[in-house]
Amino acid sequence: MRLYMVTGFLGAGKTTLLKCLIKLLCNEKIYLIINEFGKEGVDGSLLRQMQVTLAEINNGSIFCACRQDKFEIELERAIVERPDVIIIETSGLSDPTNIRKVIDQDKFSDIDYKGCMCIIDAARFEKVYTTATVVKKQLMVSSVIIINKTDLITSEQFVKLKNMLNEINPAANIFFSQYGNIDKKMMEYLTKDIQLEEVLNTIDITLQKALVNISSNMTIKDLIAFLDMIKFDCHRIKGFVDLKNITYYVDGVGSNIKIEKYDGIANNINKIVFLAGKGMSLRKSLKTACEWYSNYVKDVEL
Amino acid sequence: MSKELLFRTLKNEITERAPWVPFAGVHAGALVGADAKDVLTDEDILVKALLEVNRLYKPDGQPVVFDLQLEAEILGCDLVWSNDGPPSVSSHPLEDSMSIPCDCKLPTENDGRMPLVLSVMRRMKKEVGDTTALYGLICGPFTLASHLRGNDIFMDMFDDDEYVKGLLGFCVKVANRMSDMMIDAGMDVIAVVDPLVSQISPAHFEEFLLEPFTKLFEHINKRAFSSFFVCGDATKNIEVMCKTKPHSISIDENVNLKAAKTITDKYDVVIEGNIPLTTVMLHGSQQDNMKYVVDLIDEIDEYKNLIVSPGCDMPYAVPFENTIGVSQAILQTDEVREMIKNYTSATFDIEVELPDYDNLTRPFVEVFTLDSATCAACTYMMGAVDVAKKTYGDKIDVVEYKFTLKENIARCMKMGVKNLPSIYINGNLRFSSIIPSKEELESEINKVL
Repeated sequence: MRLYMVTGFLGAGKTTLLKCLIKLLCNEKIYLIINEFGKEGVDGSLLRQMQVTLAEINNGSIFCACRQDKFEIELERAIVERPDVIIIETSGLSDPTNIRKVIDQDKFSDIDYKGCMCIIDAARFEKVYTTATVVKKQLMVSSVIIINKTDLITSEQFVKLKNMLNEINPAANIFFSQYGNIDKKMMEYLTKDIQLEEVLNTIDITLQKALVNISSNMTIKDLIAFLDMIKFDCHRIKGFVDLKNITYYVDGVGSNIKIEKYDGIANNINKIVFLAGKGMSLRKSLKTACEWYSNYVKDVEL
Repeated sequence: MSKELLFRTLKNEITERAPWVPFAGVHAGALVGADAKDVLTDEDILVKALLEVNRLYKPDGQPVVFDLQLEAEILGCDLVWSNDGPPSVSSHPLEDSMSIPCDCKLPTENDGRMPLVLSVMRRMKKEVGDTTALYGLICGPFTLASHLRGNDIFMDMFDDDEYVKGLLGFCVKVANRMSDMMIDAGMDVIAVVDPLVSQISPAHFEEFLLEPFTKLFEHINKRAFSSFFVCGDATKNIEVMCKTKPHSISIDENVNLKAAKTITDKYDVVIEGNIPLTTVMLHGSQQDNMKYVVDLIDEIDEYKNLIVSPGCDMPYAVPFENTIGVSQAILQTDEVREMIKNYTSATFDIEVELPDYDNLTRPFVEVFTLDSATCAACTYMMGAVDVAKKTYGDKIDVVEYKFTLKENIARCMKMGVKNLPSIYINGNLRFSSIIPSKEELESEINKVL
């Protein structure tokens, strides 16, 4: 079973994109999970015609990020139906990284997660990006970004917007659309994880660099929480850490951080390097994170 | 149960243990077989459900109604109801008109479900108010503004900051009015629940929310304790939330409680949380829940500025035994720490002989408990069996196995007992977590008599 995730802020055009996606996958058995009250629902007759099963999650509060249980239940129901494709439309205010944690559980190992696409409203993007913190997270986990409603902005605004998106997620493949329409080719650019490594070689991500020296009595749980506070404000996190006599390799690319045990000979133990590009709030995030974990942070070199 | 313990914590005193507040909103209904809509619309059902929460979970404090849509409904939002969750707002009256409602629309005791809510509050105050602190929950101004205005509130913050500030001003008046009514009805703590706060940056919080929230808590703090509830990853906003001067801040699993406490302690604000709702409370085992709570408590140096609670409104279907386990872990932390250690350590070379269930001469009722002397649900379950013993006398045998003893843990494992308390009759599980009525228990005994 393939799984596609569709994200985007409130009002960006996710429902229209979904309709288009369903049509593109018309020969397959689709299970659609929608986690939001849309102003415009997905057309019931279209769904019947396309043999799509629709599950709508009615969370008391669509903005309530702490509840993934209803989504998990729907995903469990979906795999019982054995569809060819599962499409998840996330709530416009939900953090897609939480949904990814659910998908990555062992019990969903039959699911082949293909990637996330994010749709943005060209005219309103700058405003929502400024005010709603979740927009950055939605963009950073997406391998395909669709700029919608491009007819509503000028060509200068379009260039500025594209540059802005490139800075936020240099690995994303950016497409544009007027009415949420996409073609099948765009789907080929979806990837399970963001392939930032390749593009990082071609752009300068060392415009901002920081080195944090942590104490070896830090727990793994605290280290993860510490890095979580910074990961959306840098492109790269790396280093060896020795925590309670176990050596780990920390390898973060974009918002995806892996911490694995390491048996080799490690250098510069407990010194974690953070690399960020232009316009990223690395210093600010690092300052807050170091205050939160002041018991474990020995020093910071900027 | 001790509301005084909770009050002392909210006054930043060191206490003998952490207070416990189960956020049983719609979940309270599950305890009495009522669905979410029943529990939020029927006064008698709600009171019955809340009393059951009080009886089984032994809270130091408990919320009365957990429904952030109460104010929105009064102010003209349409609701969509659910059987296993609170209702959702499906329409926004200010979506097409960038206006601020008139003060004549401020909620009164007679609007919407307020007569029901206030009556339940008064009844709960009378029933359990001497021992349990009662929480009145109100919808936070920012979330209420989004209920009224819809998604455009985020654009408005960019386009027309004066309008947003005006709308928030109205929402603060609503919150003041709601808190006044709830305090008059006997609420000890007013919790301002504003999940949307985690969606904006600290800079935007300072620009838009610092002043209205500070005013709101100033208003509440004159007559009651206050709490600032947030959902989601509010990590970066914890410090600015402290600046609004609530007595406590409640967080969910998206925020690291121990690290957050280093920040909240600087402001002498109590932190409340943050047992994970789905992975632990809903899907974890009873042991998982007990272990999580013991670990959480052990991470904190002293019993100061800490209240243990679920991360937010508990899912409807949380297994009762999980919350019973949480309660026990908070009330009897040392004993439960020992239980977990024994449960997880390799001490089960203890030989336990199970009875020959197929050849018993009379019904054998075995009660597996955490400890009937300290766990409320266990006490009631053991009490039900004691009553049966009096009724049947020598016709039945009865025994209690307390999980506090290693050999009883070994017995539980050998029998495959998953949840405590449970009643087994002739080796077969008959009641798990739910306390049987006299008739139900007798009926099961009679089947094998």
